[in-house]
Amino acid sequence: MEGYLLEPTLYTIKGIAILDNDGNRILAKYYDKNIFPTAKEQKAFEKNLFNKTHRANAEIIMLDGLTCVYRSNVDLFFYVMGSSHENELILMSVLNCLYDSVSQILRKNVEKRAVLESLDIVMLAMDEIVDGGIIIDADSGSVVSRVALRNDDIPIGEQTVAQVFQSAKEQLKWSLLK
Amino acid sequence: MNSFKRDKKEEEDGGSQFLNLEKTTVLQEARIFNETSVNPRKCTPVLTKLLYAINQGETLSAKEATDVFFAMTKLFQSKDAVLRRMVYLGIKELSSLADDVIIVTSSLTKDMTGKEDTYRAAAIRALCSITDATMLQAIERYMKQAIVDRNSAVSSAALVSSLHMSKLAPDVVKRWVNEAQEAVNSDNVMVQYHALGLLYHIRKSDRLAVTKLVARLTRMSLKSPYAVCMLIRITAKLLEEDDEAGGNDSPYFNFIEACLRHKSEMVVYEAAHAIVNLKRTTSRELVPALSVLQLFCGSAKATLRFAAVRTLNQVAISHPAAVTACNLDLENLITDSNRSIATLAITTLLKTGAESSVDR
Repeated sequence: MEGYLLEPTLYTIKGIAILDNDGNRILAKYYDKNIFPTAKEQKAFEKNLFNKTHRANAEIIMLDGLTCVYRSNVDLFFYVMGSSHENELILMSVLNCLYDSVSQILRKNVEKRAVLESLDIVMLAMDEIVDGGIIIDADSGSVVSRVALRNDDIPIGEQTVAQVFQSAKEQLKWSLLK
Repeated sequence: MNSFKRDKKEEEDGGSQFLNLEKTTVLQEARIFNETSVNPRKCTPVLTKLLYAINQGETLSAKEATDVFFAMTKLFQSKDAVLRRMVYLGIKELSSLADDVIIVTSSLTKDMTGKEDTYRAAAIRALCSITDATMLQAIERYMKQAIVDRNSAVSSAALVSSLHMSKLAPDVVKRWVNEAQEAVNSDNVMVQYHALGLLYHIRKSDRLAVTKLVARLTRMSLKSPYAVCMLIRITAKLLEEDDEAGGNDSPYFNFIEACLRHKSEMVVYEAAHAIVNLKRTTSRELVPALSVLQLFCGSAKATLRFAAVRTLNQVAISHPAAVTACNLDLENLITDSNRSIATLAITTLLKTGAESSVDR
């Protein structure tokens, strides 16, 4: 039988992408220098991928020798790419983690506007999920706890409240020291 | 007039500060990094824009990258957590473009060994992106400590970074085998997975060491499904290379077969995939793996159906007769809403089907 045995390596993810509903890139990362070395090739691939997937909500597709799993919501498309022999369920676990993390960060408000408003936190989340093609974490709860660095009760972006809180704490400390 | 139009569009489209970003404007805005007192509320969005522009495919020249990199290092003055983490991202993004990036080594080493847990893991990963073989020896002590750190994020970050670094400095990383060995026993699923990955990478050329590793780990029942998948791959590789291990009652093969009854679907599929792809697998040994795949064909999850039918398609080449048992399930998949699944089902049936089924 032709050897399709999988190489024992931690490098399992070839790419991750979040596209909008025109197929334009919001964020994308490619981890293998051998596939799509330039931004131009990457974007051509993304366009192609988007055209093949935006209508059929079919979860999985093989394209250009890559297995791509995907998921969409309102005006966002999430993709995770791996080699065509990769364990699809591993790719799926990464996709679910990406989607759930973004959803928790945006407080279930998974749409383009919200992603752009919290782009910094979404970038940090992507960085916590995959590092150079290695899955760092596939549990959305722990990813979010690592990146939602601001106090959980305070909506992301409203640092002022956090700052007030911080200064109040500091004042208390000083009054105790007196 | 023109600018008015643009303003209006921006209002309609929340967060559109990111649309049509010009590299030059962003680089200009990045000058505020140089101000004496760092304002995180102003600097974080600018840094986000810069990283976004790079992600969109904007290319910076070495000079531009170096200038903005040095401006960014000023942001280390601020203690704002999000800003600090964005600086790490920036360091990683620019490490290959800018010159003299080692300037941040001491700042990152400080963060990596500091008290703030939210910084440590990310600082390790950023640090390793700017480190070369000679500098790695300088931070070796910290890396070893981080691998066995109690904080799982720190430990994982150190293991993953070590694996990346082993391309540059294989001899240095080889010395960390004891720490990796200890991390394999971790309760954290990801730490266990990363530790196994690093351990195997260090030892893969030493066959005896790999057999020992496998013998120990197959007995210890790993907690992490990812680690088990990895172990299945290692075991399958051993089986494939080694004829002696291939006897009818090989402990390796028994391990893989036992994984067919694992509670995680990911592991079950990995095991079935390994069994059908092993050269030595006999038709009789195929049966349990095939029945698992047959079960997956009826799953509600498209990914699982896809995985199953793709693997059956491979088996159909070498053992067409064995796959005929699944023909009914495959016929159901011909009308699957996912076209890839339908296509794979048809081509598989063409290899296995007799005339009678083609008629239907």
